[in-house]
Amino acid sequence: MHEIYPVNDYGPLMPGLVMAAVAIVHVFLAQFAVGGGILLCYFQWLAMTSRSESARIFVHGYFKVLVLISFVLGALTGVGIWFTSIQISAPTIGLMVFNFHWIWATEWTFFCLEVVAGYCFYRYHTQLSDRTCLTLLILYAFAAWMSLFWINGILSWQLTPGNWLTTHAIADGFFNPGFWPSLLFRTIVCMTLASLIGCVVVNIIPHLSREQRSELIHKSAHLMLPMLAMPLLGFWFLFSMPADSRGWVLGGSPAMMLFFMISVGASLAIGGYAFVGLWLQRLYVNGATASLLLLLAFGATAGGEFVREGSRKPYTIRQVLYSNGIRPEEVAELRVRGCVSKDPFPIIHEKQLPNETVAVGARVFRRQCAVCHTMEGSNAVAHLTASWDTNQMRMNIAKLQHTKPFMPPFAGTARELESLVQYIHWVHMKRQHPWPDKTDSKVIQQIQVWLDEAGTEPADASENQFVALDPSSVTPAIPAVEGSEE
Amino acid sequence: MGRIFPFGFESHLSFYLAVYVLTLVMHVFLMSYVLAGSLWLAWATLFPGGGLIPRAKQPLAAILRDWMPFALSGAITAGVAPLLFVQILYRHQFYTANLILGWRWMVVIPVLVTAFYLLYVVKSRTVSHWSVPARLGLSVSIASCFLFVAFCWTANHLLGLNPTTWPEAYRSGNTVRSSVALMLRLVMWVAGTFPALSILASWQLRGAETCAVPSTTAGGESDRTTLIRLEHRRLGTVSIAGLTLAFACATGYWTTLEPSVQTQLVGSIGLPWLLMVVASGLFQVIVWLLQLQRPCICSRWLSAITIVMVMMLIGTASLREIVRLSQADLDQLAASTRAAAAVGGFELFIVFTMLNAVLIFWCIRMVRSAVHRR
Repeated sequence: MHEIYPVNDYGPLMPGLVMAAVAIVHVFLAQFAVGGGILLCYFQWLAMTSRSESARIFVHGYFKVLVLISFVLGALTGVGIWFTSIQISAPTIGLMVFNFHWIWATEWTFFCLEVVAGYCFYRYHTQLSDRTCLTLLILYAFAAWMSLFWINGILSWQLTPGNWLTTHAIADGFFNPGFWPSLLFRTIVCMTLASLIGCVVVNIIPHLSREQRSELIHKSAHLMLPMLAMPLLGFWFLFSMPADSRGWVLGGSPAMMLFFMISVGASLAIGGYAFVGLWLQRLYVNGATASLLLLLAFGATAGGEFVREGSRKPYTIRQVLYSNGIRPEEVAELRVRGCVSKDPFPIIHEKQLPNETVAVGARVFRRQCAVCHTMEGSNAVAHLTASWDTNQMRMNIAKLQHTKPFMPPFAGTARELESLVQYIHWVHMKRQHPWPDKTDSKVIQQIQVWLDEAGTEPADASENQFVALDPSSVTPAIPAVEGSEE
Repeated sequence: MGRIFPFGFESHLSFYLAVYVLTLVMHVFLMSYVLAGSLWLAWATLFPGGGLIPRAKQPLAAILRDWMPFALSGAITAGVAPLLFVQILYRHQFYTANLILGWRWMVVIPVLVTAFYLLYVVKSRTVSHWSVPARLGLSVSIASCFLFVAFCWTANHLLGLNPTTWPEAYRSGNTVRSSVALMLRLVMWVAGTFPALSILASWQLRGAETCAVPSTTAGGESDRTTLIRLEHRRLGTVSIAGLTLAFACATGYWTTLEPSVQTQLVGSIGLPWLLMVVASGLFQVIVWLLQLQRPCICSRWLSAITIVMVMMLIGTASLREIVRLSQADLDQLAASTRAAAAVGGFELFIVFTMLNAVLIFWCIRMVRSAVHRR
């Protein structure tokens, strides 16, 4: 697993944003597919038992939407997520596939069942008995939920690998501490999404009277009732998280807390409206309101997924792989060998760089930073370091895991770190040409001291707050490098 | 590599290779239906019945329009498994090729989404009221989408085969080392999809023929049976043409391969598969020639040709892997598959594969019997 992969530049977009966009859309659609199966079973049962006159019309209308949206976009964004994961972090997806390929293959068998049962119903439901229709829908719903069951084990393993870290047993990895709260929570989310989309669909189906629509909306809202258990499951999930990850979510990282609050707030708004409006007051929901509620649900999903991805920092797989695709045990070796010495891929616009040191810095940036940062776009390193002077930058990067505990330790030599600093500084100075190519041995020695002081381990879990260190308070002044602003 | 593929390697590597090839064949069969079907639809829109069949009475085009969305769904779902196992076997090559192609690879997803929705558009009744240029534009767009995806896969595969070209391809963005090899390989696969389409579509035509025959006395239905048989004969002609073109391109592609790779293909690891592919192709040509003389669609011959087609696909997929393996580090592959086998979970896969196979069979049986009862 020590292969070096090429890294693509997405311009002002950081690769993580590309991943987030595909992942959020896919999760939203996939959860709709899972909840949709459950909702359809419920409505088919209502129709069969004459509990609802209009349920049959709803089932037929809803399944068309499910096929056109979920079967097409859901399936293809699922493949898209794989492709995107490869683009963003090939080592991460490689490790996930390696450890859980039989789980994924098992999930695939459920995809096959889902497609067959779904299409059998879609093509032939008008020719089938109610009982056969219900059987097909149950099989469809079962297969869809089981696909959630399997993928949930893999995704929750990324954050809470639990005993797997010591045993490497697939059962320990799959049934990790986050598995059950995540599965139950997601199941409720699926039902809620399906119910909200149900409210939209009811407003689209032609030739229904107001009474029929009202009845269908209130029946559909039944699936939102389990939302009452969400706070409890949310707490369970939160407390299954590692303490430092929980710390980011609960205030340690303002961005993560903001997204967490968006998710909680949107969920509360939906749950409150469903309970008070649809249950207690039996309000009618028109298409616009239903769409707004659905938009809120999308916001909640987006916030939740951002928190789930972000709270793993500095890892993509906790204690196994850092966000930049470097393993914790590799750091010590890379501090000696260097992180770009074996990188076979050239810098694409190398000729635009002023000298070899800056070119090495660009390679270091690509290897260690480019997964989560751009140079001048979103989450830009140039902006994040704009207020640091060169020496401060050297020390803060050398002690990166202590500077910002959700960052991984720097995994390269002192000379590579200096090259990175030169590269960032060159960008700060508006990419001047020419740019002096001199490195002072005293600077390198001082960086080495800082690297040694920082160690190769990740930050202590208790250090979950920003600590900008003043280099002058720790070490004697070091000579400025020619070309820097000092 | 002294024994026939996939044997002669370490057991774990042989096992993963076999699983990969078998799942790939499932995908290729359905993919062939979609790719060749879309080309057929474009052709049928441009030349309805070659002047013989009125546009409104094209049984095969109607069947294709009706079934292609499901076939695409099936092809994509079936494609997940080989996509999974390729990551176990050739992770480094596959990921690097993906990354070097970058957005040119990622664009495959929106193109497939577009094609999927266009298939639903072409299936809708309103399209029959569209003008010929509009319908032609639609069907050509669909076919172009699938051809583009086929092109991307071919480029990805060839790039993965040549690690020495990666740094330069990454720097320059020029990912195609040999456009001749790429085009020959692409045309070989595209032409090879027509025999598979011919078989699957013949089964569907046979089903339609069975439904049409009892109503002959009602008047008018005998025309439909005639049309079905005419379409069947056209499928036979297309299959023979596809096989001939695929073999011609395969021969051309052979010349672009390194001599060491050619030696493997005609050595003990590849020769049995090579002979099987050639024999399967010849058998299909002969059967189709015989079928062209027959008045009706014979299920016995169709069954035989289906089995031979599956064998041919297995043989082709095996040859494809032999080419790839002859350029790979086998020790490293053996080590990585040994490690992958050790992570566990295979028993779980077997149990649920059997369970879901039974459930899928049950679904189909339940629906078939209900539809027949009606």
